Amino acid sequence: MNFWEAQRKARGRTSLYLFVFFTLTIGIAILIEYVVRVLAADGYTPPMPYLGVMFLGITILVAAFYYLNYSSSGGSFVAESLGGRRVLPQEASYEEMQLLNIVEEMAVASRLPIPPVYVLESKEINAFAAGMRPNNAAITVTKGALALLNRDELQGVIAHEFGHIYNADMKISMRLAAMVMGFMIVLYIGFRLLEGSLLFGRGRRNGGTNPVALVAIVLLVAGALTWFAGAILRSMVSRQREYLADACAVQFTRNPSGIANALRKIGKYQHINDMPKSGMAYSHLYFDNHSFWSSIFSTHPPLSKRIAAIEGRTYIPEEWIEK
Amino acid sequence: MGWTILIIVAIIIILGAWLAGMYNRLVSLRNQVKNAWSQIDVQLQRRYDLIPNLVETVKGYMNYEQSTLQKVIEARSQAMSARENLEKKGGPTAEGASLKELIGAETTLRGALGGIFALAENYPALRATENMQRLQEELSSTENKVAFSRQSYNDAVMLYNTQQQVFPTNIFAQMFGHHPADLFETEGSEAKKAVKVQF
Repeated sequence: MNFWEAQRKARGRTSLYLFVFFTLTIGIAILIEYVVRVLAADGYTPPMPYLGVMFLGITILVAAFYYLNYSSSGGSFVAESLGGRRVLPQEASYEEMQLLNIVEEMAVASRLPIPPVYVLESKEINAFAAGMRPNNAAITVTKGALALLNRDELQGVIAHEFGHIYNADMKISMRLAAMVMGFMIVLYIGFRLLEGSLLFGRGRRNGGTNPVALVAIVLLVAGALTWFAGAILRSMVSRQREYLADACAVQFTRNPSGIANALRKIGKYQHINDMPKSGMAYSHLYFDNHSFWSSIFSTHPPLSKRIAAIEGRTYIPEEWIEK
Repeated sequence: MGWTILIIVAIIIILGAWLAGMYNRLVSLRNQVKNAWSQIDVQLQRRYDLIPNLVETVKGYMNYEQSTLQKVIEARSQAMSARENLEKKGGPTAEGASLKELIGAETTLRGALGGIFALAENYPALRATENMQRLQEELSSTENKVAFSRQSYNDAVMLYNTQQQVFPTNIFAQMFGHHPADLFETEGSEAKKAVKVQF
């Protein structure tokens, strides 16, 4: 298997996950409608599926709001809000000049525009690309990465970030994040509605079901379910885009050992963990994110698996290889 | 009567559209080759600009190795004139344009530069200066950029040449003024060995 084949496979997987994601959303909307119609057969029989449409409407509106919010701020905004300092060629130190050179090299190799480069005062080895489109993307690298990685390794890391820009991963992950936010708002509305109906609904006990409380519970459950499933799916997509970016890094540099050794070094210095906490919302962008959630919610695959995928020249995890 | 004219007009329009599509495709492929070439060209120029700096920096330290410096200076002017010749002909997509001269001169230049850096190993004081470090980094980065842009140039050339060779485009390609472009290939493994720059 070569990196082209691996990239094709990874892209196919993303489409599958996205399909599951949207089927899930529509499915839950239909389910809400159905459940309320069955449970409140006497009270709720409108000609239009108001509840399902409401669920979809809230989710999509909130998602659109968050998405526009994210996308209006380019990569430079994200880099600066995390405390990044723009590296300019006139005042660059030797290491920073090397970084700028490597970024230019990778721009040439990937045929993408040269993004602005930022350095973050952080001792761990990390890097991220932010920005929705190639022409407003920015690349940020930590001081630790500059100090600890050699030129080939740094080139591998930068190539990986270019892989994210090339594959428009920021767009995908921001959209998913926005949808997950939409589900959370549905959950929140359900919760508030339930609270309200319990407070004010007490007066009229007429023996029948309380329709507001029923709707609230259904929204609450639906919101919680989709939020949970959405968060897991989002992490799955994110992990899989990491493999894809690793494959692209090899494509751009034609040097698998650069990125593999960089990952190995990250493993060696894993005890250093000082990425800005304000950036947790952006953690899925990081080159590596070794937080305590290592299982289904983590945005990055384990380092050992990534190294094995690169050095085994398969570029995808073992379990995807059909035997 | 009216029908035949209509059918003939329709056939002419379809043929015209088809020819125009072929013409446009060839032009856009040629522009891609030209664009990819200009990426390489920028880096070559950058390297020619850096070499006098390098020679100036090294001069004071390498009194006894004037011949190595001379070689670099000569190789540079040869590569520059090869590039100029190519430019005069109209770039790599022009009729009869060949990259051979330039590739040869570039290989010599890379070898000569490798010689300087190999010699610099013997002068720790020189290697320690910031200026020298920066020059080494700059030169190896332009080297990398040439290598990376060569990939995309060769890809573009391959698409362009293939389009000219497939039927039925091959009948019209010459007529529209297209010629196969040269690939940018390095000469053998010796050239690769010479580029090796120590950090």
